[in-house]
Amino acid sequence: MMRGEHIPIEDLALFSLGNLASGEAGEIRLHLDECSQCRSEMAALSGDLALLGAAVESAPMPADARDRFLARIQAEVPTKAVHPVSIAREPSSKPLLWALCGAIAALIVLVVILLVRVNTLNQQLSQQSSTINRLTVSASRAQETFDVITAAGAQRVLLTPGKSAPSPTGRAIYLPSRGGLVFEAANLAPVPEGKAYELWVIPASGAAPIPAGVFWPDARGSASVVLPPLPKDVPAKAFGVTIERAEGSSTPTAPIILAGAV
Amino acid sequence: MHENPSNPIAAGLRSNQGASETSGAAGGTLVADESLLNRVCAKDRGAMAELFERYSGMVYSVAFRILRDPGNAEDVMQDVFFKVWRQPGSFLIGRGSLGAWLAVVARNRAIDLVRNRKPSDAIDEVVLPAKTDLSAEIERNAIIEKVRGFLAGLPPEQRISLEMAFFEGLSHAEISARTGDPLGTVKSRIRSALILLRKAIQP
Repeated sequence: MMRGEHIPIEDLALFSLGNLASGEAGEIRLHLDECSQCRSEMAALSGDLALLGAAVESAPMPADARDRFLARIQAEVPTKAVHPVSIAREPSSKPLLWALCGAIAALIVLVVILLVRVNTLNQQLSQQSSTINRLTVSASRAQETFDVITAAGAQRVLLTPGKSAPSPTGRAIYLPSRGGLVFEAANLAPVPEGKAYELWVIPASGAAPIPAGVFWPDARGSASVVLPPLPKDVPAKAFGVTIERAEGSSTPTAPIILAGAV
Repeated sequence: MHENPSNPIAAGLRSNQGASETSGAAGGTLVADESLLNRVCAKDRGAMAELFERYSGMVYSVAFRILRDPGNAEDVMQDVFFKVWRQPGSFLIGRGSLGAWLAVVARNRAIDLVRNRKPSDAIDEVVLPAKTDLSAEIERNAIIEKVRGFLAGLPPEQRISLEMAFFEGLSHAEISARTGDPLGTVKSRIRSALILLRKAIQP
């Protein structure tokens, strides 16, 4: 596998995930004991791979999962023993004192029960507020998308590839007052590895083109960009699509693959 | 905590990484996790509830993605968080992002379950660099969008190979057998995907 050289990153990655058989893993472990460079690289790979987990599509958790967990840790905390107070025995004069102690103990128990109840209700309220916030954000975005698509003032522009065969097409729907843009493209050719298509808004003011997101076509050549982050109130005179680095560029690079004027 | 001899990351390297990266831009938000963990060490249930609120959705989703069963996924999630409650010292600030650490621990537990293995790693064996801090909502959303964009843009065969490794715990040879592709091709695809992932998440 290594022959005295550094370990390939694909082997390091799967080793860090615990996916390798014991023989192969043992060989890598021996190398790591001697090689700080590979140890550093493996730590970095572990961090990169962890993000695949963090970015996994959110799954709705069972409603009572939080309560079950809180109940579990509640039950796990050992209850502190209440040490009895030593009272000198004077039987003839103590009934009132015992009654008083009993009342105080009952009061303490009642207060503890109420505090636990208040705490539980606060936690439920917090959980429900969090859920409402998430739903509100989701609904707001859906409404914004709908408004841009259906607004009377939305500009609908068909982008074509100049004089060449009109197979690739793009359609931009733009609402300058909101900075809302929905773009759909079809029949796009695949981009080379490390490259991506990038959408541009060309301001009517003559200012520099504004990047509006990178995208990759699917197997059928279709792609879309929905509501990229754009400044508001920037009237556009045209839209364009170029091929840029996969991480996007700040200025468009010729040739222009698709273009369309407002 | 005792040094685990099977841990491939030397203790010195771990602490050095943490010291330098917690002083960076993400240091401010790391303190919040650290503060909560310190309170959990003192058996503060409110702090544990806050950590649960912050990361349980992600931990559950990772387990569910692997196990495809709500009950088993919740078992993994409960197990992970209960171990944090019982052994908060297992994670030390400076060894990485708590959120990323929880994601990997949940992934490993779920893979063990799906492959019918005994839990293979002590949870304190998972060590990550602190490049990204998942405790801040805005930063978490930004990095998640980057990773999802990266996966969406990846050629299908590369994405499938990477997902088989991460979400199914398969080795190169097992992926090769599953897909019918040559071993060298599988390795090459995973290598390319790892390089692109690194590029995608670089600030």
